Amino acid sequence: MLSLSIAARFLRKSPVQSILIAAGIAVGIGVQVFLGSLIIGLQESLVDQTIGSSSQVTVQAKQQGASVDYTAQVKDTIASQSQITTQVPVRQFSAILRQGSDTVPLQLTGGELAQLDTIYDISGKTVAGTAALSGSDIVLGQDLADKYGLKPGQTITLVQPDGKTLDEQISALVDFGSAQANLSLGFTSAAVAKQVLGYTDQQYSEIQTQVSNVFDSVQVADGLQAEPAMQDLKVTEWQAENADLLQALQSQSTSSYTIQFFVLVAVALGIASTLAISAVQKTRQIGILKAMGMRDRQTGRIFLWQAAILGLVGSGVGVALGVALITLFSLSGASFSFSPKPSFTVISFVVGVLVALASSLIPSRRTTKLDPIEVIQGG
Amino acid sequence: MGEVLLKAEGLGKTYGTVVKTVALSGVDFELHGGEFASVIGQSGSGKSTLLNLIGLLDTPSEGRVVLNGHDTAVAGRTQRAALRNDFLGFVFQFHYLLPEFTVLENVVMPGRIAGASAAELRPRAEETLALLGLEGLEKKNANDLSGGQKQRVAIARALLNRPALVLADEPTGNLDTVNTKAVYKLFRQINEQLGTAFIIVTHDRGVAQQTDRILEIQDGRLQQDVRNAYVEQQL
Repeated sequence: MLSLSIAARFLRKSPVQSILIAAGIAVGIGVQVFLGSLIIGLQESLVDQTIGSSSQVTVQAKQQGASVDYTAQVKDTIASQSQITTQVPVRQFSAILRQGSDTVPLQLTGGELAQLDTIYDISGKTVAGTAALSGSDIVLGQDLADKYGLKPGQTITLVQPDGKTLDEQISALVDFGSAQANLSLGFTSAAVAKQVLGYTDQQYSEIQTQVSNVFDSVQVADGLQAEPAMQDLKVTEWQAENADLLQALQSQSTSSYTIQFFVLVAVALGIASTLAISAVQKTRQIGILKAMGMRDRQTGRIFLWQAAILGLVGSGVGVALGVALITLFSLSGASFSFSPKPSFTVISFVVGVLVALASSLIPSRRTTKLDPIEVIQGG
Repeated sequence: MGEVLLKAEGLGKTYGTVVKTVALSGVDFELHGGEFASVIGQSGSGKSTLLNLIGLLDTPSEGRVVLNGHDTAVAGRTQRAALRNDFLGFVFQFHYLLPEFTVLENVVMPGRIAGASAAELRPRAEETLALLGLEGLEKKNANDLSGGQKQRVAIARALLNRPALVLADEPTGNLDTVNTKAVYKLFRQINEQLGTAFIIVTHDRGVAQQTDRILEIQDGRLQQDVRNAYVEQQL
């Protein structure tokens, strides 16, 4: 540990230089943590807004418009997929709401409220009334209600595609998070939908599910499709239908990685040049240590240790700086808020230390190769 | 007189590849344990080159150095470093103290390189500092000492591992007359008390005459190898 104590002493005896390098690392890692967390936060928010409240892996009949037999075997097979967090059998149908001279097409989903809540969070998004889906209850979007002056408790008449009418009572109005959805989506009880569609107890339009990691949906869908119980069914997943979103996310990640890469390169160059200067400044000391019998590798390690200490301190301060920046950003009243990502923060810290270590390789090698005679002869 | 400690066999050093400069050539001599010798010669005669070769700080172009039975010609850099640490102590014209460390920390450095802890080495370091009249300066920074004190600390450091041989290259070149006398007196005292062999490089014939053996280098060759009357009486 002689190399370590010499390294620590060299750093302590050049406080300004040491603080400047550590500050350089800290700023670099701080920017990394802030920028990385911002991009991840943005993406998570975008993904959540787009597909957070929708089916991510869906089981349908092979034939378009046909029903799925939701047998115990199908249910168990879906449940056996460890990544699937919830499964909700739904019955979907369309109907028209006539309001004066307006006819409003509605996409209605029938199901159990408790189950639907696991995907759509109807109860949580209720802005008026009390969410309920029993008997002839219907839940509608708030924009539709605002447009036509509908209120919870009011009964509306829907016209089915075959011309039959259906009376439903509004139990709640919800904000789905998008004007389009607020105008066209609605939820009914499973029984009403069953009756409209003429399904048996076991028949459903599709089984909607969500997965623990949305980006694993392809693997989950493929795994599910391979199950014997799914042979006559079709498993689809959200990514196949959202190529544009995926490309946008990927482009965002690429630009973020590029910026982060160059930030790290700048940090590495800063450390490397300062350590190289330090190695030159300490040539005499290294030479005399070698003359006294210190081995090449031991002297080389002095600069590795210096880099390790600077990397640890700099990255530690950098992480704190990044977290402080994120907090400041969130407190500044920005419309979008995000939190530091623990895994990304740990990675940034480790990367900071590794970059510092890598930057010390040149001065370390230079030191390793130094011959004591170069110093002794030079006086 | 002790065992053969150092053997220089046909030792030579040539610098340059295109234009060759012979700094030292065909130097043969043996040094026994406990000897107190000097190397004299004019500036540029090759005496420092000789010291650097036998101190394993430089590698010879021809010949070899055998140190305490170890053929250093076949030793790698790591082994040479270990031999320097085990058997040799260096005192240069410039003290080369580490300015980042205190006097005590500087003195224990060769022992720490050998793998001992500072605490283990402390008693020996204090004893060595006392031998050199440097008591009470242990905690001072090396930079806060006078020129003579710094050179004595450098000597203490060279002696810490109780080397068999101390190589001193113009050790008093930067010191005034009073300090110069004190340093040589000290060398002699250490030589007698600890049995440490010395090779002192100097251009000052007066200094050389105080040693027991004078190796005179001229134009890169060993011109004379004479023992002083004082030694001969002892032999």
